[in-house]
Amino acid sequence: MEAQIENKRWNFPNGKVNQEYCYEFDISKFMPEAVVETIDGLEEVGLTFDPETKQIAGTPNVPGEHKIKLTYKPKDWAEGKPVLEKEIGLIINPDPRSLWNDIPTDETIDYFKPDSDTRFIKVMSKKDMAAASKRGRSHAHEGKARDDDFSLHFDKETGWYIMVVADGAGSAKFSREGSKIACRTAIDVCKEQLLSLGDNFEREIQLFDKEKSQEKRNDVGKILYEIAGNAAFKAHKNIEKEARQKGNPVKDYSTTFILSISKKFNYGWFVGAFWVGDGGIGIYDKDTQYLKILGEPDGGEFAGQTRFLTMPEIIQPAEIYRRLRFDIVPDFTALVLMTDGITDPKFETDANLSRIEKWNDLWADLCNEVDFTNDNEQVADQLLKWLDFWSQGNHDDRTIAILF
Amino acid sequence: MRRLPVYLVLDTSGSMSGEPIEAVKNGVQVLISTLRQDPYALETAFLSVITFDSSAKQMAPLTELSMFQMPEIHASGTTSLGEALTLLANKVDSEVTKTTAEVKGDWKPLVFLMTDGGPTDNWQKGLAEFKKRRFGLVVACAAGQGADTNVLKQITEVVVQLDTADSATIKAFFKWVSASVSTGSQKIEAGGVEVGGLSELPPPPPEVNIVV
Repeated sequence: MEAQIENKRWNFPNGKVNQEYCYEFDISKFMPEAVVETIDGLEEVGLTFDPETKQIAGTPNVPGEHKIKLTYKPKDWAEGKPVLEKEIGLIINPDPRSLWNDIPTDETIDYFKPDSDTRFIKVMSKKDMAAASKRGRSHAHEGKARDDDFSLHFDKETGWYIMVVADGAGSAKFSREGSKIACRTAIDVCKEQLLSLGDNFEREIQLFDKEKSQEKRNDVGKILYEIAGNAAFKAHKNIEKEARQKGNPVKDYSTTFILSISKKFNYGWFVGAFWVGDGGIGIYDKDTQYLKILGEPDGGEFAGQTRFLTMPEIIQPAEIYRRLRFDIVPDFTALVLMTDGITDPKFETDANLSRIEKWNDLWADLCNEVDFTNDNEQVADQLLKWLDFWSQGNHDDRTIAILF
Repeated sequence: MRRLPVYLVLDTSGSMSGEPIEAVKNGVQVLISTLRQDPYALETAFLSVITFDSSAKQMAPLTELSMFQMPEIHASGTTSLGEALTLLANKVDSEVTKTTAEVKGDWKPLVFLMTDGGPTDNWQKGLAEFKKRRFGLVVACAAGQGADTNVLKQITEVVVQLDTADSATIKAFFKWVSASVSTGSQKIEAGGVEVGGLSELPPPPPEVNIVV
């Protein structure tokens, strides 16, 4: 009987480095009426055994497949008899964080882009804008460049805020440049168009605010198309031009694209948006629990369903128009634009993106590390630091832009 | 989080006893220790072991790689391949999360099946069940000359053969399986793309022959 027990392999449940471990080791489950004498080898890995509570506890700090030596008195043990020994396996997994390399991107590659980027735009006596973008763990592990990008602009003349985020497709060779061109172009086009169409646009917005009819809605939509729709169209065309000049296929520059233009009026905030691909954009108000998602994510179960700005069908006029959204709200806590490096871990599914609880969680999480009080110069750096949040299995590039 | 389920389906019939079964146990052990060092696999791969002899049993349910413990495996009895395929199909139903509007499901399971002989049960019945499920890559390995590659070819296009079921060869096979799981988890995490076929896996070592 004893010999049989001896031959059986014993293991403690596995642990993880830097993660609390607690296991109640009840020897009688393995060997009735046996009594533990000593357990050697636990201290070396950061654990202790408490004979009173029978608990093996602590925070393991040495990864590996450890052998723990147990000495015990068997059921029929009597004074003078030897205590018995048994080897028990204990696997401590490395902290996955410690396994990821952080190899800087080679600065001599085509279309080099820094591994992270931040921007803060302070607007006197009004809402500010901040954005941060960071290369994901899987890119850092292999020394590959960041594919995400963003751009912010506040037009002092007209008072319009413009924000863009773009996520270059992981499988496309030069998507980092695609996302960059998309962001830069969108800002340029919106600036220009707002300058020439701005007065008319603002008039239509005001008329719509007074009379929320379909007709007035269409009038605003038409000009929004000339601004945001045009920005998307030109962004596509500029990417195409770059690809052609370099003799590369356009799809090597595949990128998603989320654009917002917004302005405060005495009757409220206008927010217009255009969105292609995954990620997310929403107007969130913590106090009123108002949430408006400005579009629909192009996700789906099958990889082929993802949409990119670089696809020819996306810049068909009807398709551009279909993707435009706008809203007028009295006020909001934050207008947030995110790439899927953030929406995947924080929202998980497309359905969750429209759940206010998920936005409450996101906002609470952000506020833990980022101080969103007005004119805080540190906000972009704090946002960049926040982007390091740990989420198992999610290591895409992360980009967030916030108007708050 | 979307998990990458990996099912090891292992023949533990009598003919595997001795050197082959020891080599398999060793192989699985090395596979796990290796994958634990791979950050991609450590974060996404989930592992299950199903064995089949006179009947099929799931020796380890689908478990996060870091929490996985090697089950006790012994070799005896006949080769119930059909039952193993049925069990695999049932376990995939109950353990692998499907994608819906509300839930982001798991990646399609990877399957590595190893056998050293011909099936002794009504294996077509199991095959029919198996074919009703959606899998990612399925690799069948004929360990030695006793396995029926024609049967395996009906399970999957990807069939490999080991010339002999000795420990060095079996070890080489598991090393390749481990590298394949690494590649699989890296592909989905870096690009969101699943492994499509043999050509996307690391090249098999010389001991592992591709059956065409």
